[in-house]
Amino acid sequence: MSYYDIDSILTDAEKIPCTFQLDVPELGYLDNNPGQTLKAGARVALPLWLAELLAITSAGGSDDQTKSYVAFDLPPALRNDVVQALKAEPLAVPLRDQSAHFYSLATHMMDLSEEPELSTTLRKTFVKRAAEIALHARKLGGGAGKGDEGSNLGVGGAGEEFLRGLDEWERRLFRKAHDGTKAGKEWMEKIKKY
Amino acid sequence: MALPLPPGLTQPEVAFLAEMELVTIVPRQRLESIALLSGSTPPLRPPHRADLPLWLALLLKKQRRANIVPPPWLHPTSLSEIITRETKDNPDAFSDPPPPISRAHPSQPGRARRLAESEAGLSPPFVPSCTAEAPAGYLPYHWLEVAEALLAHAGDDMPVAAGEVRSLLRDLVEVRAAKMRSSTGTLEMFGGGLTSLRGVGAMELAESRGFVLGVVDGVRKLGASAEATRREEEEAGGGQGASDDDESDEDMGL
Repeated sequence: MSYYDIDSILTDAEKIPCTFQLDVPELGYLDNNPGQTLKAGARVALPLWLAELLAITSAGGSDDQTKSYVAFDLPPALRNDVVQALKAEPLAVPLRDQSAHFYSLATHMMDLSEEPELSTTLRKTFVKRAAEIALHARKLGGGAGKGDEGSNLGVGGAGEEFLRGLDEWERRLFRKAHDGTKAGKEWMEKIKKY
Repeated sequence: MALPLPPGLTQPEVAFLAEMELVTIVPRQRLESIALLSGSTPPLRPPHRADLPLWLALLLKKQRRANIVPPPWLHPTSLSEIITRETKDNPDAFSDPPPPISRAHPSQPGRARRLAESEAGLSPPFVPSCTAEAPAGYLPYHWLEVAEALLAHAGDDMPVAAGEVRSLLRDLVEVRAAKMRSSTGTLEMFGGGLTSLRGVGAMELAESRGFVLGVVDGVRKLGASAEATRREEEEAGGGQGASDDDESDEDMGL
């Protein structure tokens, strides 16, 4: 994750649900209550970078019970039903609808709180979907310029649907696989001309 | 960061390197030895075969000064044998690379033995694996590049119709590409992730490198936090177990 990595910056802007642990004066506008005090226990969706900072810094108080400002939950993209659906059939879930930065959001969340089961599920999902991505990348092969060249066997509307559901990591993966195949094709064309 | 090229060799680079492979030709004209940077070429005397680098062989072929003898592994029988091996006999692994060079045992006639690398003076990338003496049934490192070049420019030198060889080659490429794709499947479980790429050709590597590295990197990132906790636990567990010999640890520290 480089400082200039646009995907990392966009991931930091994802909203995650947080619960405030103490009253904060004048912050009511976050909860559609301008000018009021934000009460403890209010649920507000905060961007990841802010939530992370508020969750890990302690709000002072007496030594034996240091509280953090907020407690956060898993974002809607990583809700239990999404994870269950991924467990059942990784290929059927359009991850992009959950979040365009699904995997980087997930890794970030896993850094913040331990989710061993989520990690296993996502790993399986990623690998399963990667194989499918590679297949599509190869089938779409001819790609640039030539349009569909009849090599789209077995990748009809369903394939398009699947490709639309890829998140950023998977898009990059698709691009890499596609570039490899494309360069191979170009070389094969060129070798005949010399 | 600013370098636009992906890591590893690109396809044109691989194809360029493959042109150094030696192939066997049957010259039609006499040609004296040429001193090249890679060594002098053998003098060409028409009926006798000679081994030349691929680029020179193709040049002579285009000028109709020579015919190229296709390597034995490019013969349809050899190719279909490899395809059977890849699909039926061993559907999970790539077929083996060519065995090391063997030579007849001088004291025991009829016995061959494998030469050690030091004896032969050559190790795999430099072993002439595309000449007429190459073993049939094994794909060398630059198989796809050499095969494509020979089919494109010396199709009439094939022992059978070039179309037949070409379609077998296509089958083989598809079979192996499918294997390459599924090879990342082993990463699914924790602790897995060993993928043997023995016998994979240079061009296939260039094609799949980006994808395979991408998958491995993704899995690494997804597993990073779990890995960190596992390490911490291990360290904590190791610390308790090693509490008896704390003193020796301290000695080590000093």
